Amino acid sequence: MRPHPPWLSRHYLALSAAAILSACLVAACSSSGSSSTGTTNTSSPTNTKPIVIGASLSLTGDFSADGQAFERGYKLWASDVNSSGGLLGRQVQLKILNDNSSPTQAQTNYQTLFSSDKVDLAFGPFSSLLTTPSASVAARYGYALVEGAGGAPTVFNSPANQSAHNIFDVSLPIEDELIPFVNWVASLPPGQRPKTAAYPMADDPFADPPVQLAQQKLQALGVKTVYSKIFPAENASYKPAADQVANTGAQAVLLGSTDVPTVSAFMQAFEQQHYNPKMFICAAGPDQGASFTSAVGKANATGMMVPNGWYPGYANPASQKMVNEYVAKYGGSPSDVNADVAEAYSVGQVMAQAVTATKGTDNPKIITYLHSGVTISTVQGPVRFDNFGKNSSAAAFTFQWQQQGTAFKQVLPVSAAGSVSIINPKPNWTS
Amino acid sequence: MARQIYQAIVDGILVGGVYALMAVGLTLIFGVLDIINIAQGVLVILGAYLSYTLSVRIHLDLFLGLLITVPAMFVIGVVIQWAFIRRLRGRERTSMTLLVTYAVALIIEGILYEIYGPNPKQLNASYVQSSVHVFGFYLSYIYLYGFALALVLVAAIYALLYRTGFGRSVRATMQHETAARLIGIDVNRVAALTFGVGVAVTAAGGMMFGATNSFNPNSGYDLISRLLAIVILGGLGSIGGALVASVFMLTLESLVTIWSPEWAIVVFYAALVVVLVIRPTGFFGRQPVRAQ
Amino acid sequence: MSAVTGSMSRQRAATGLALIVLAVAAIAFPLVFGSPVVTNYAIYALIFVAVVTAWNMFSGFSGYISLGQAVFFGSGAYAVGIAAKAWHINGVAVFALLPLAAAVGAVIAVPFGLIALRVRRHTFIVITIAVFFIFQLMAFNFSFTGGSVGVSAPFLPWSPTTFNDRFYYITLACAVVAIVMAVLVRRSRFGLQLRAIRDDEDRARGLGVRTMRVKLVAFVLSATVAGLVGGVWFLYLTQVQPQSGFDPLFDLSLVLMAFLGGLGTISGPIIGALIIEPGQLYLTIRYTNGYLSEILLGALFLLIVIFVPRGIVPTAGEWLRRLRTRGRPAVAPVQTSPRAETRA
Repeated sequence: MRPHPPWLSRHYLALSAAAILSACLVAACSSSGSSSTGTTNTSSPTNTKPIVIGASLSLTGDFSADGQAFERGYKLWASDVNSSGGLLGRQVQLKILNDNSSPTQAQTNYQTLFSSDKVDLAFGPFSSLLTTPSASVAARYGYALVEGAGGAPTVFNSPANQSAHNIFDVSLPIEDELIPFVNWVASLPPGQRPKTAAYPMADDPFADPPVQLAQQKLQALGVKTVYSKIFPAENASYKPAADQVANTGAQAVLLGSTDVPTVSAFMQAFEQQHYNPKMFICAAGPDQGASFTSAVGKANATGMMVPNGWYPGYANPASQKMVNEYVAKYGGSPSDVNADVAEAYSVGQVMAQAVTATKGTDNPKIITYLHSGVTISTVQGPVRFDNFGKNSSAAAFTFQWQQQGTAFKQVLPVSAAGSVSIINPKPNWTS
Repeated sequence: MARQIYQAIVDGILVGGVYALMAVGLTLIFGVLDIINIAQGVLVILGAYLSYTLSVRIHLDLFLGLLITVPAMFVIGVVIQWAFIRRLRGRERTSMTLLVTYAVALIIEGILYEIYGPNPKQLNASYVQSSVHVFGFYLSYIYLYGFALALVLVAAIYALLYRTGFGRSVRATMQHETAARLIGIDVNRVAALTFGVGVAVTAAGGMMFGATNSFNPNSGYDLISRLLAIVILGGLGSIGGALVASVFMLTLESLVTIWSPEWAIVVFYAALVVVLVIRPTGFFGRQPVRAQ
Repeated sequence: MSAVTGSMSRQRAATGLALIVLAVAAIAFPLVFGSPVVTNYAIYALIFVAVVTAWNMFSGFSGYISLGQAVFFGSGAYAVGIAAKAWHINGVAVFALLPLAAAVGAVIAVPFGLIALRVRRHTFIVITIAVFFIFQLMAFNFSFTGGSVGVSAPFLPWSPTTFNDRFYYITLACAVVAIVMAVLVRRSRFGLQLRAIRDDEDRARGLGVRTMRVKLVAFVLSATVAGLVGGVWFLYLTQVQPQSGFDPLFDLSLVLMAFLGGLGTISGPIIGALIIEPGQLYLTIRYTNGYLSEILLGALFLLIVIFVPRGIVPTAGEWLRRLRTRGRPAVAPVQTSPRAETRA
């Protein structure tokens, strides 16, 4: 046999394959950013190019239910702005990329949006877990990151934000969520306050801080803690923990939950144990509208409480308009509107005001403006940022399902406009 | 305190029954086909969704619905095995089956997302919320029925394995595939049918899981890791071992939950490691035959 | 005889030349393609090249499929984060913590390996999964790991291009280290012992191979690289949380990449990583809607396993061999010529 030429050996092939691959990689990636900016007006001399706003959202993966709600909120805002003439006379265009609930993908998405697509502005992703790495990218590129779903202390304390002050969370900082509830308990005559309370918490940075703070304050009021434990945020762990809580017979339960399945698992265990707490408030879950009531049943939803910065019945004209538009576009009833939609919409409103006030899309100017102590009104109420981007004006409300699970009503603070009387004690479970 | 311990033990036994239903199929597949089926978690969820559809669309009772979902899942199992797993051979078989079953899991999960969306669902029935009062404890009906179902199915599979000709072929294949082939057993057919049976039992597990938990297409991942641990602990291929291991692990976890729910799952996996160090074949596993 | 050695040295020269070209290309890459988006893909690709090569060095060569590589990766990441916070290290000095990450990986691998390597095949796989979950749960539960919140890296105020370029070179160095280690192992007697274990462990032991020691050393080497790369990844992403540092899909991706390229070869996993990691990131951006991408991904895996069951590199090698030898007899006809071929 003739000796074969050297370029047909396996090793050589492998090396050249690696080189070719890298070249293909580059070619593919360079072409990925070509699609964005879309139509441009040709006529007028002033800037009429669309304002492109980039965001990475969890359209698939663990956070997909919320990510999709956020997408609807962003899109609703954009279409409202555009139909009333746009921002500074320019149409708003959203470029939303899916991050599959993964921090690596979120970071890659923002790099693509900033460097390749060269978006003008940025909206945040969903969840504190994804916001922190995204904020680092935004800080490096000099973009403000206005977001509505990253309220954990770690977001504000992250080194990037401490250095660049570029995170702006329009929603209620989560730590203070349960304060209205605590204040209400304090306002009750001592004989009517719960004597014992249980604090089960899912292992999540969103769920634990508010419950822990509430526990401290309620203990100071003399409410005895009979259960305070963190459980893993997975299905199989709920029932044993819930049964333990039921065994304590606590009169009040403050559940650190992040989603509907946690709440429904606890409720189901309580029902099976015939355990009826007099007060039952959850960090999240009951605020998810129809998702919640269809999971737990409308009758049993009655009396369940949840804190939030917003609800569909909020007596704010812009909020009502948004709710009606949402229902018109996506169906369902006003009570079904997920709070995520309002959070996303508020993000848009804050950014809109910043752009209008600074007459442009210059991010450093926007950052300065947002930190200047200005108060912006949104569908979630007033927004005013402190030095680290927390919304210090956020109103914390507490809501309760009433009327056999058909009405989601604002009940706390008692003195706030729009609050109706609270159902206390919570009715027993119906089987 | 004592009450809490009894409650935990009762919880562990009852929840263990549910997990046994899910694990039995996995261990059967393991034992006969010698593969790790990562898709098992998603198949449980698929079973849950099938029960959900029957319950919501035609208002069929959950247990009656099993009469439809179990055969349906049997067929699905046979198809999966025949289409994808049958042809995996060779030295890299272990990693190939990992990848193939993972791929199948991805596809099923994607399809479920497309059809049902990401919002969690739960199976509802009158007996899901209600419970019976026994010795000062409330035992919920659904868990009792589920435990009974687990016993029935385990007994049925035992009968299948030890009283039928097919069962003999299955056991022969489990013990020594080449020898089984030499005596004329159609190993391919046995493998396909066993996979089908394993997936069919999972339909029952899925219904029980769906009745006792909220689920969405993503719920399969948490499950598969626990199921793998249970199956290895019980011994690969041992049906009774799967039942015992399920109850044992879940009871252990439930007891530790009294002190710390966070550490309870760690105990689950740590117990597995400890037992395997002492007895590498698990509770009831048999010594592995030399690689063929 | 001289013709044979002549062709061999010519081949070696060609391989050497190709390596030099590749090295120059790799070093020049960020200078030519400066966009941070591109270097971002390259960085993640190189991270996986390093980890997969290290993983393959143990699992591919020995046949023990480990689904616990993330244990070392995540531990390395956390080690850097916790040390930076505890010792108040900021700025560029954090990079000095990387050897710590590698050491942490190695230290964890020793008891892990001693326990896990006593069992085989499926039991081994499940033990690695169990240890993986134990670590993920410990990250959730302990307060020094930050619990569910995780740990953040110090902020490095570099411009995007500079930041990415520097990390590119760091990850490139890690990948080179991993590849060199793998090549050395493969060419050594140690590597031969590993492969003997893969082929038939009992027989290997009967022939005098100290199987436990061999397996453990390979396991620890693989873990050291994984820990190091974990630390680098942490500094790049600037955050680690239990689910991201200990991600079950990470381990499965390693198997896929190594498998795609060819388990047990050196260049195979490299190619697998270069294809899959950037591919996955890019496709998620491209096909941003719906769960279709998941279905497609699964279908793609299936196609790979069914049609390229031995991996790209061995399959391509085989095609080449067929190409070279087409039309020629497999066995050279008997000749009395002194220039009879001794290798095909």
